Amino acid sequence: MTTQAFLQVLASGILIGLIYALIAVGLSLIFGLMDVVNFAHGEFLMLAMYAMFGLVLVTAIDPVLLMPIVVGIMFVVGVSAYAGVIRFAMRAKANPGMVQIFATFGLALVIQGLAQYFFTPDYRNIGNSWLGGKTLNLGGVFLPWPQIYGGVISLLAFGGLYLLITRTDFGKALEATREDQGAVALVGIDRNRVFALGWGLGAALVGLSGAVLAVFYYIYPQVGGPFALIAYVTVALGGFGSIFGALVAGLIVGVVEALTALILPPALKSVGVYSLYLAVLFVRPSGLFGRL
Amino acid sequence: MNRREVLLAGAAMSLASSPLMGTRAFAQAGAEIPIGVIWPLSGPSAQIGVDAKHALETAAEIVNGSFDIDVPTAKNAGLAGLGNARIKLIFADHQGDPQKGRAEAERLITQDKVVALVGAFHSSVSATVSASCERYGIPYLAADSSSPSLHRRNLKFFFRAAAHDEMFSGGMFDFLDAQKKAGKKIETVGLFFEDTIFGTDSSNVQRKLAADRGYKVVADIKYRSNSPSLTSEVQQIKSADPDVLLPSSYTTDSILLMKTMDELGYKPKNLVAQAAGFADKATFDAVGDKLAGLISRASFSIDMAAKRPSVAKVNEMFKARANRDLNDNTSRQLTSILVLADAIDRAKSTDGEKIRAALAATDTPGEKTIMPWKRIKFGEDGQNVDADPVLIQYIGGKFVTVYPENVAIATAKWPMNG
Repeated sequence: MTTQAFLQVLASGILIGLIYALIAVGLSLIFGLMDVVNFAHGEFLMLAMYAMFGLVLVTAIDPVLLMPIVVGIMFVVGVSAYAGVIRFAMRAKANPGMVQIFATFGLALVIQGLAQYFFTPDYRNIGNSWLGGKTLNLGGVFLPWPQIYGGVISLLAFGGLYLLITRTDFGKALEATREDQGAVALVGIDRNRVFALGWGLGAALVGLSGAVLAVFYYIYPQVGGPFALIAYVTVALGGFGSIFGALVAGLIVGVVEALTALILPPALKSVGVYSLYLAVLFVRPSGLFGRL
Repeated sequence: MNRREVLLAGAAMSLASSPLMGTRAFAQAGAEIPIGVIWPLSGPSAQIGVDAKHALETAAEIVNGSFDIDVPTAKNAGLAGLGNARIKLIFADHQGDPQKGRAEAERLITQDKVVALVGAFHSSVSATVSASCERYGIPYLAADSSSPSLHRRNLKFFFRAAAHDEMFSGGMFDFLDAQKKAGKKIETVGLFFEDTIFGTDSSNVQRKLAADRGYKVVADIKYRSNSPSLTSEVQQIKSADPDVLLPSSYTTDSILLMKTMDELGYKPKNLVAQAAGFADKATFDAVGDKLAGLISRASFSIDMAAKRPSVAKVNEMFKARANRDLNDNTSRQLTSILVLADAIDRAKSTDGEKIRAALAATDTPGEKTIMPWKRIKFGEDGQNVDADPVLIQYIGGKFVTVYPENVAIATAKWPMNG
C-alpha cells in the first residue's frame, strides 16, 4: 500500500469522524443533562435530512444557506419531543430508566413509520448544489468539498457549544441542572424549561449534522440507523455527557474504522471500533473523558 | 323460555342453517385463492418491496381480469381450472431479515392458509422461507432471489423460473470473452460484494469463472452492507484499478459506491454489475450521471416490447400503478405470479402436493412470457435452466440490450468511459 493511499484513508477517516462527532454530541448533551439515552437520535438525523431535502425541493435555494432553517426546525422538534413525550416518561414512579428507554424507542418507531408512510421508502438525493460532487485534490489525496465543509461546520459547532456552556447564563443553568436537579429549583431555575431547551439544543445539533450529511448522502427512512449506532459507541467511548469527549471519540471512531477496513477485510471494519470500545469499557468504564 | 330451551333453540337453528353456511363457505373458498407474498416492505430495502407490491398486484389483475395479452391465465377472468376463482395476494413484510421471514411465512401458512408462497428479493430470506414451505408441503417460488445455493438443497417444493447468479455471471464472462476476442484489452477483474448470501455466492461464482477463463482477480473486496462510508473500500479498488469492476450490491451501497468513487477521483474502466442495486431506479435517480456505460445483467429488457406486444401491454399496466417501467426485479416478480397462477389453473386444486406437481409439469414457451427466456421448464431441483440472462447497458439515460447477440439491439460501448 502506498503512502498516498494511507493518507487518503486517514484524511477521509478524519472528515467522517468530525461528522460522527457532531452527530454524537447532541446525544451526549441530552444524556449528560438528564440521564436519558435518546433512542430516537437516528430518527432526528433522518428528519433533519428530509427537512433539508424538502426545503431544497421547494425553495431551490442552496443547502448551505438553508442550514439555519433546518437547525431551527430541529430545535422545535427537540423541544416538542420533550414536551410531548419525554416529560411524561420522566414522571414514571417505578423503573423510570426502562420507561424512558421505551418512550424514546417508541418515539423512534413512530417517526420511522410516519416517515415511510409520508415520504415513501424511496431513496432521495440532493442533486445539484454548490458543493455537491466537487473535490479538492491535494497531491493525489482527494477531499470532497461537502465533507470538508461538514468538518468545518462540526468544529465551529463544537466551538460555539463550548462558548455557550462556559460563557452564558443558559450554559450555567444547563451545568447547574446537570449537577443537581433538586437544588436548581431553590435558586429559581425552571428545571422543565432547561430540559426542554436541552432537548432542543441536542436535536438542533443533530439537525446540523443532518443538514451537512444531506448534501452528500442518500436519504431514506432508515438512514439514521447506522449513524445512530456509531453515535452510541462514540458517546460511550468519549464519556457520557462529555462534549469534548464526543469530539475526540468521533475522530477516533472515524479514523479507526477507516484504517481497520484497510488492514482487515472491509466486511470486518467495525471490529476495530468495537474492540476499542470494549477495551475502554474494561479499562475505563466511564469513557475517555467521562465524569460518571 | 328457560336457559336450556334457549340453548336448544340455538343448537337447532345452527343445525338447520349449517348446510347453507357450508355452501356459502365453499363458494367463498372457490372464489378466492390465497397466495402468500413476502417481500421487504419496510427497512433498508423497502423500496424494492413497494415496487414488488405494484408488480405483484399487476400480475393478480392480469390473472383475475380478462385481457388480450399473450401470457397464461390472462384471457379469461380468474382461473378457468377452478371455476373462474380469483387469486388473492396476502402480503407479509420480512424487512430483509431471514428470521422475520421465516416467522411471517409460518404465519401465512398456518393462519392465512395460503396455498403457495412467493418471495423474497433477499436470497438469505428465500433460504429460510423455502425451508418452512418444504416442511408444510407448500410450493415456494423464488421470484427475484438469485443465489445459486438456493436450488441445491434437495427441496421438493422449491421453484425458480428466473436465472441464478451462476447463469448470470456465466453470461457476463461469455460477454467478456467475446469482447476480448474482438481485440479489447481485458486482463484483470475486481470483485466488490456485500457480506450476505447474495454477495458472497455471487463473488464465489465470479472468482471461479475468472480463474477458469484466465482473468486475474486484482481486487477481492467483501464489504459490510449499509456502511456509512466506503472510502477505504474504494481506495483499494482504486489502487488495484481492474479492467472490469464486478459489483454485487444492493441499492444503498450502489449509490454510496458510485458517490465515493467520484469523490476519490476514480473512474472505473468498466462496470459489469450483478443487477440488484444497479437495476433499481433509485440508484439512477441519485447517481445516474456517473453510471453512463454501466453494464448490468438482467432477466428483462424493455426494448423487447418492439418485438413482443405483450411486454408493452404489461408494462403499461405496471406503469399505471408504479409510475415507472418494469425492470429486472419487477418483471421477475410479476412473472412469478403468472407462473404460479398457471400451475394452480392446471392443477385444478389448491392442494400443495397437486400444485407442486403442476409446477413441475410447467412447459411454457418464451413467447408466452414477458421475459427474454427460451421457455419455462423446471428441472428436478426446481430451477428453470432455460432462463437466458441478458446484459443491458445504460446509455443516454436508458437501458439497451447489448448481449447476447440474438436479442441485442446495440453493440456494447467498451470501454464504458472511452
